[in-house]
Amino acid sequence: MKTRILFTLFVSAALALSACGKKEEPKPAPAPAPAPAPAPAGVSVSGMTVGKAIGADKKVTAATEAFAKDDTLYVSVDTKGSGTAKLDAKWTYRKGDKVAVVKEDSMTINATGPATNEFHVSKPDGWPAGDYEVEVMLDGKPAGSKKLTVK
Amino acid sequence: MSDDMPDFSNVKGGSSSTATKIYVVVGGDSLSKIAKREYGDANEWKRIFEANKDILKDPDKIYPGQKLKIPPKE
Repeated sequence: MKTRILFTLFVSAALALSACGKKEEPKPAPAPAPAPAPAPAGVSVSGMTVGKAIGADKKVTAATEAFAKDDTLYVSVDTKGSGTAKLDAKWTYRKGDKVAVVKEDSMTINATGPATNEFHVSKPDGWPAGDYEVEVMLDGKPAGSKKLTVK
Repeated sequence: MSDDMPDFSNVKGGSSSTATKIYVVVGGDSLSKIAKREYGDANEWKRIFEANKDILKDPDKIYPGQKLKIPPKE
């Protein structure tokens, strides 16, 4: 009988101690508030001009959309913002529904602020008369286009 | 391309920028060749070398895939 009482007391004490030792699970830390979205970074196209000549600042000095057969065709592309960006220029000739690729060029720039970029094409034996177009893409996305005519 | 469309295979093109250009070296390139293409003067290779001294130790050793900074033409 004494042994039974002692055993009961031991079990009760053990259960009480076990209950006291039980720790509550710590609540998970609240998720940090989302950081404010950074200002949009990167480069964007702010302007595009076609013409027959450019200056040292890469800007077109003789803007026109009508060219002679011996002209060099320039497109000047102004960008703003900073970062690395890929610019592509695709020159095409259009005759009715038909389109021929004249020339494709690309360059990657590392801009630290506003920049002016130019692409140019020339044809030693002269441009066939007709309608042309230059499409500019920034990082693979259309950024603008200009139509040109050679008379 | 259709036969009645002009031949544009001899068209020459180029590009330049007031920003630093990034050029990826291809097989057969040398700093002189890149300078000739970018500046029209092979002797300008030193400008490219100076701009890339952080990655180039020897101007005669450039490798395909290297990305070189091409300073704007002055």
